Amino acid sequence: MIKVSNVSHYYGKEQVLFDLSFEIKSGEFLFLSGESGSGKSTLLSILSTLLKPSKGELLIDDESVDKIKNIDYFRQSKIGFVFQFHYLINYLNIYENIALAALDDKKHNINEILKKLGILELSSRYPNEISGGQRQRVALARALVNEPKIIFADEPTGSLDSKNSIIVYELLAEALKGGTTVVVASHDMRIEEYATQIIRLKDGQIL
Amino acid sequence: MISLKALSKNPLKSLLIFSSITIAVMAIFLISSVSQGVIGMYSKMIKTDGDIIITQKGISDTFFSNVDIGLIQKIDNLEHVASSYGMIVGASPIGHIPIAGIYGTTANHFPHYKLTKGEYPKDGEVILGTNLAKQFATRSVNIGNKRFKISGIFSSGIGFEEGGVVMNIGDAGELFNRSASFILVSSTSPSKTDEIVKALSTLSSEIEVKTTQNFVKEYNQFKIIKNSSFVISTLAFAMGLMGIASVMSMIVNSRKEEFGIMRALGKSRLFIIKNLFFETLIMSTSAYIFALLISIGILEILPHIDMLQGYVNGTLSLSTAMYVLTSTIFMALLGSLIPAWIASKTDPILLINQGCA
Repeated sequence: MIKVSNVSHYYGKEQVLFDLSFEIKSGEFLFLSGESGSGKSTLLSILSTLLKPSKGELLIDDESVDKIKNIDYFRQSKIGFVFQFHYLINYLNIYENIALAALDDKKHNINEILKKLGILELSSRYPNEISGGQRQRVALARALVNEPKIIFADEPTGSLDSKNSIIVYELLAEALKGGTTVVVASHDMRIEEYATQIIRLKDGQIL
Repeated sequence: MISLKALSKNPLKSLLIFSSITIAVMAIFLISSVSQGVIGMYSKMIKTDGDIIITQKGISDTFFSNVDIGLIQKIDNLEHVASSYGMIVGASPIGHIPIAGIYGTTANHFPHYKLTKGEYPKDGEVILGTNLAKQFATRSVNIGNKRFKISGIFSSGIGFEEGGVVMNIGDAGELFNRSASFILVSSTSPSKTDEIVKALSTLSSEIEVKTTQNFVKEYNQFKIIKNSSFVISTLAFAMGLMGIASVMSMIVNSRKEEFGIMRALGKSRLFIIKNLFFETLIMSTSAYIFALLISIGILEILPHIDMLQGYVNGTLSLSTAMYVLTSTIFMALLGSLIPAWIASKTDPILLINQGCA
């Protein structure tokens, strides 16, 4: 379970999130919606421990993120992240990109996940040798490799066509069936049909 | 290994770092080696055939020193003296060459110059060093206002000498208006050197007597060369090292997005620093080795360039090579690890966003 208590965030003097409090139960599919500049990407970064909030507290499974001793291991073992622009490392091939994120005892999952996502034959290629849709599937494979408890996705279909967008949503929904919590920030309202909880943001506040 | 992958998949960046380090290290090597070479050549000239040197008292440079050549007779009569010879060292235009070394010496020193052609000079004659001889196809040559017959060609293995001429001390005395620049004395046994120095000091109040070892250590010209070379090579070194550090720093800053992604994937700061450490180590060490090999090659070629008359000879010492190696690796690591450490403390999402900016 994720609990957000009175979280505010500033970039310099500009406040982008205003005293937000809410909870996400395990196994939920949370859709964070809002226009550009509403603060959804900042909130997602805070929820996924990639950004420290200026104020407030974030608890994951009743543990305050601030008090976690090894945040790197925590992030690697419990959280999967899918970025809008995939952010694969360009000098590593597809297999190595996923292996970089994998815990030692989860490396055996790599080929299985690549096969499941239909990209096993791409494993020796480099990111610049595959299409945008394929890259996003690799990014999803990277997020899933450690069988995380929570997957965060920031505009995961922002750079994809409709066909590839639906593939990504269905893959996320499938992860949900395995008990994973999924949090997606997006403009794309088609995601509503997969969501079990929706939070709408406007100017850094929950509507 | 991720470090090697990162280097091989970014050939342009890798080449940029490699070239910067190579050029900086080469500049350091060549400046310090050439100045060490100048000192080495002159020291060798003085040390080769004498244990003791006599110069004019109070004169800091052998070029301006004037010692009475007549002292040689008294010197040769002293106990434990094996031999002595006088020498005039000067420089003058020779034919079409704007400046070259002129060595006037007593006949007993001629065997030091190994003849490769012709015979030792009589009055009004000169022998040319191997390098200088390449510039002349004539039988005679103008030195100052006088024309000298070329009687032979010699080799001595010392760049300064091989780029100049040797003549009788009497002819050199007329050219430079002095008796002798210095007198070199050889002892019958190294243990008698101090005793001879004392005896020689009593011969005249206008001379200064030193062992050649001490002379080389204390010679003002060497101090000037050493000090100016130290300043120039230190500046070149500092600029080179700052260049290395700033290139590494720019490269690291351009990779913030990559570090942000790694942190977002749960990779520790130590993981990032460790990989960058190995990348920098591989890059700086290979660039250093490449620069060292090129510098050695250039130093080998320099003495054979006719235009330089063999005057530019480099000596690369092991201590210089080790010092430059240590400093290069240290500065490269400093330039890469400090920004990487600072970057690794930043929130991953900010790093990713900074990298995209």
